[in-house]
Amino acid sequence: MTKTISRRDFLKLGTASVGAFAVGQMLPPMVAKAAKDSGVLNAAGDGHISSMCEMCVWRCGLIAKIVKGRVVKLDGNPDHPHSRGNLCPRGQSGLMNTYDPDRVLTPLIRVGKRGEGKFRPASWDEALDLVASKMTEIKNKYGAEAMVFSSTHNLSQPLFENLLYAFGSPNYGTQRSLCFNAMIVANTMTYGMEEPARIYDDKLKYILLTGRNLLEAISTSETHDLIMAIDRGAKVVYLDPRYTKTASKATEWLPIKPGNDLAFHLAMLNVIISENLYNRGFVEKNTIGFEELKKEVSRYTPEWAAPLTGISVETITRIAHEFATAAPHALAHNGWRTSNFVNSFQTQRAITILNALIGNWGVTMTAGAGEESGTLGAPSQPPYPRVSALRLDGVPWKYPVVPFKIGVFQEMRDNIVSGDPYQAHGWFISRQNPVMSLPDRGKTLKAFEKLDFIVTMDIILNDTSWFSDVVLPEASYLERYDPLVPIGDKVFIRQPVIEPQGEAKSALWIYKQLGERLGLGDYFQYKDEEDYLRQQLAPTGVSLEEIKEKGFAEFKEISHAEEAAELAWSTPSGKIELYSDTLAKVGFSGVPTWEEPPQPENGQFYLLTGKVAQSTQFGTQNNQLLHKYSDEPRLWMNAQTAAKLGLSTDDWVEAESPVGKIHIRLLATQAIRPDCVYMTPGYGHISKGLKTAFGIGAADSVLHVTYTDPISGGQALSQTFVTVKKA
Amino acid sequence: MTEIKQHAFLFDATRCIDCRACMVACSVENNIEMDKTRIWVSGIGVKGEYPDLQRGTMVYHCMHCDHPDCMSACPVGAYTKADDGPVTYNPDLCIGCRYCMNACPFGVPHFDYDKGIIEGAFIDKCTFCPQRIYNGQEPACVQTCPTDALEYGERDELIKKAHARIAARPNHYIDHVYGEHENGGTSYLIISHIPFNELGLPNLPETPVNEVSEKVMEMTIPFAIGWGAVLTGVAAGVNLYNKKKEKAQVEEKAEESK
Repeated sequence: MTKTISRRDFLKLGTASVGAFAVGQMLPPMVAKAAKDSGVLNAAGDGHISSMCEMCVWRCGLIAKIVKGRVVKLDGNPDHPHSRGNLCPRGQSGLMNTYDPDRVLTPLIRVGKRGEGKFRPASWDEALDLVASKMTEIKNKYGAEAMVFSSTHNLSQPLFENLLYAFGSPNYGTQRSLCFNAMIVANTMTYGMEEPARIYDDKLKYILLTGRNLLEAISTSETHDLIMAIDRGAKVVYLDPRYTKTASKATEWLPIKPGNDLAFHLAMLNVIISENLYNRGFVEKNTIGFEELKKEVSRYTPEWAAPLTGISVETITRIAHEFATAAPHALAHNGWRTSNFVNSFQTQRAITILNALIGNWGVTMTAGAGEESGTLGAPSQPPYPRVSALRLDGVPWKYPVVPFKIGVFQEMRDNIVSGDPYQAHGWFISRQNPVMSLPDRGKTLKAFEKLDFIVTMDIILNDTSWFSDVVLPEASYLERYDPLVPIGDKVFIRQPVIEPQGEAKSALWIYKQLGERLGLGDYFQYKDEEDYLRQQLAPTGVSLEEIKEKGFAEFKEISHAEEAAELAWSTPSGKIELYSDTLAKVGFSGVPTWEEPPQPENGQFYLLTGKVAQSTQFGTQNNQLLHKYSDEPRLWMNAQTAAKLGLSTDDWVEAESPVGKIHIRLLATQAIRPDCVYMTPGYGHISKGLKTAFGIGAADSVLHVTYTDPISGGQALSQTFVTVKKA
Repeated sequence: MTEIKQHAFLFDATRCIDCRACMVACSVENNIEMDKTRIWVSGIGVKGEYPDLQRGTMVYHCMHCDHPDCMSACPVGAYTKADDGPVTYNPDLCIGCRYCMNACPFGVPHFDYDKGIIEGAFIDKCTFCPQRIYNGQEPACVQTCPTDALEYGERDELIKKAHARIAARPNHYIDHVYGEHENGGTSYLIISHIPFNELGLPNLPETPVNEVSEKVMEMTIPFAIGWGAVLTGVAAGVNLYNKKKEKAQVEEKAEESK
């Protein structure tokens, strides 16, 4: 047979110095004491424990099979709405994150120069005392705001926020501006919520995906929903400059010119309004600003959009007709990593409004069931101290409509370098890898040079920990408790299925220990992890034992989903805002408007990045099981273009942007527009502490230029242009 | 006595997104070494010229044939076809001859060249996850599949399901269930929008290949006995000739020493 993955591919691991072990040959077993005590595991340490995945942010329910105290298999939990019994390749490989031979299993203190990777093991007491004393020193000398904090979306984030806000710093970086700020801010301005939920029911007829590569950037249940919708005959129109795996399953793939999704969607609005194809009743009752919108989009005809998008007038018009005809059983998906160009906010506004015009609310879209912990209790704590210092990320003084809790991460980094409006001196980084994730790696490393102290918390020595002064080893998601999370009328638990290896500790423990050392113990009023969870459950009448056994519990008082779907939006007007006064007041257009995206010059290419099903962002490339089944990361180039440049597959090429250059092997393929190149992020590691991933591929962050959308604060991740030549 | 129902896999290429969750799941469940696998991806990759493109992938492991060629080729009976579906391999009987590898029309059994004869277990292939299916679970590859491209169940039911799915959307599928009859039937059934040979599947007759080969193979024992007799005769003749020659040489030397 013609194998696209042949046996030969597996020799790459067999010959690697990391050794070719099966999972079962890894570290010695560690019985989860709590599970054994409660009888979930038998005396030999065998049994099944329910918990929650953390290989991405989707948080599928899982059931871990434990044999002699070792986790040997993970299966999806059929009772969990996000997994429905399935797990994606990352979820399946999760135990290899825990059993990674490169795990950091003891606190580390740097002994060499920064970036040399020389550390010595230390006790928790020594490491935490050092971190607390450095943080206090910075606070005393320069003020609490000189200490910046950043962390990526996770369940212990409320405690991380306690740490930084109680400490008194306004500087909080999340990954969101590198991902979906455009979408979140657009939805907030339009619907008054970050992200409405999507409904894939039996009647769904038409799905418009704007760069949402749902079959490679897998969200288990939604990926399943999409495939089942296709199976039932729903039409899927997919806009992407790349022929992804999603493109191959779509009814229609439109290789749109990068940066011009906005033109496409403005033209959609134009046709639907000018031909009266919108849901008049819904629009009149539930929206404001229709006339302003109508006036603005009247100039965005399909004839205007066709040359910009590379999509014909007929196609744009037909899709607008089809979409409106399928209404209300039609859905225009916002996409996920939506910050692609500085005009992406306008694109996102146009998409949200497209949905509003056809009145699909309550049919294919609804208020998210949400993962708000409002229904749960929490330990009591004093109010945060008042902070008067400006935020380094420019919110709100430079970015007036960006929500505080999402921020503008790349701007914070830039202002660490510039020292403006003040100089930062320390950075606490938890479960995050800004060296890889922020654009312009060189600049991030420059920011590090400005800092007196860097501390990171992670399970492996990623590229950011590599440059740290102290590394705090966190327990992996299979080894620890995290705060509970409600989804709809159920509450789910992440609990240890094995005991932490080495000296690794949970975030709940680490933040509390640090808080106490900083004199902030009142913000961490729980004895241990289980006590925190019990306090969360106190108002619900559900016992921790019950939830530990099944992995979830149903609330006694069911919150009514119907209520959430009721037509009330938390915008200033209480309606869906086609025209946003909030935007207009701070000097932006109140309705979606055209902003011309920059274009590559002759000889330059758009640099695209995207997701593959076998890795998540920048943290899973060292997982041996995922490495085993991943494709070698290459720079994709259209085959005809490559031929013209005298390049072919496997050639080593040099790609250069205004801020850096990389060497990478080429993949000449038909699956991309001739004016684009593509690379998978997450490779090209600096850290030699990652023995599986080190030396593979190249880092997109070396090439990415920092361009920030002035409205949403999103980093424009597809706006970097590169030249490519034979290396 | 209850009838033992034959079980099978159904793979739907229109649903497969090439995510490889099945491959990882199999590797973990069966503790496969990092440089080996029991599931592969085959297919057309990306076919056509930009922007008129097509993509199609198939994951496959042992097809668990009703008339397994590996089994008929195996000289020591290391393979068994169970009534409920699985084709199983017994490493204790295997002598490492690799006939099964050559016999399998799907290229499934893989020989472990890293191991010596004493270590045993030369051939690696899908087992049907007996540790799971006899404990009320689906095989690891099936259970994890995020798009239900892989399903598991009674073979008759899956065949009905496959035909129903094709009938419901005739333009979406090729009207054929691969493995229903191929090679006398397999327990890995495939439906697809891409021609089966382009997915990498061989065109096989409905009559199992080994029905022919087994007839030939049945001849091998009498043939071997007959051939053995001939060889024995030849050996005896050679031996006799050598002895005579030796004797002559000894006599020659005796002559010289005089």
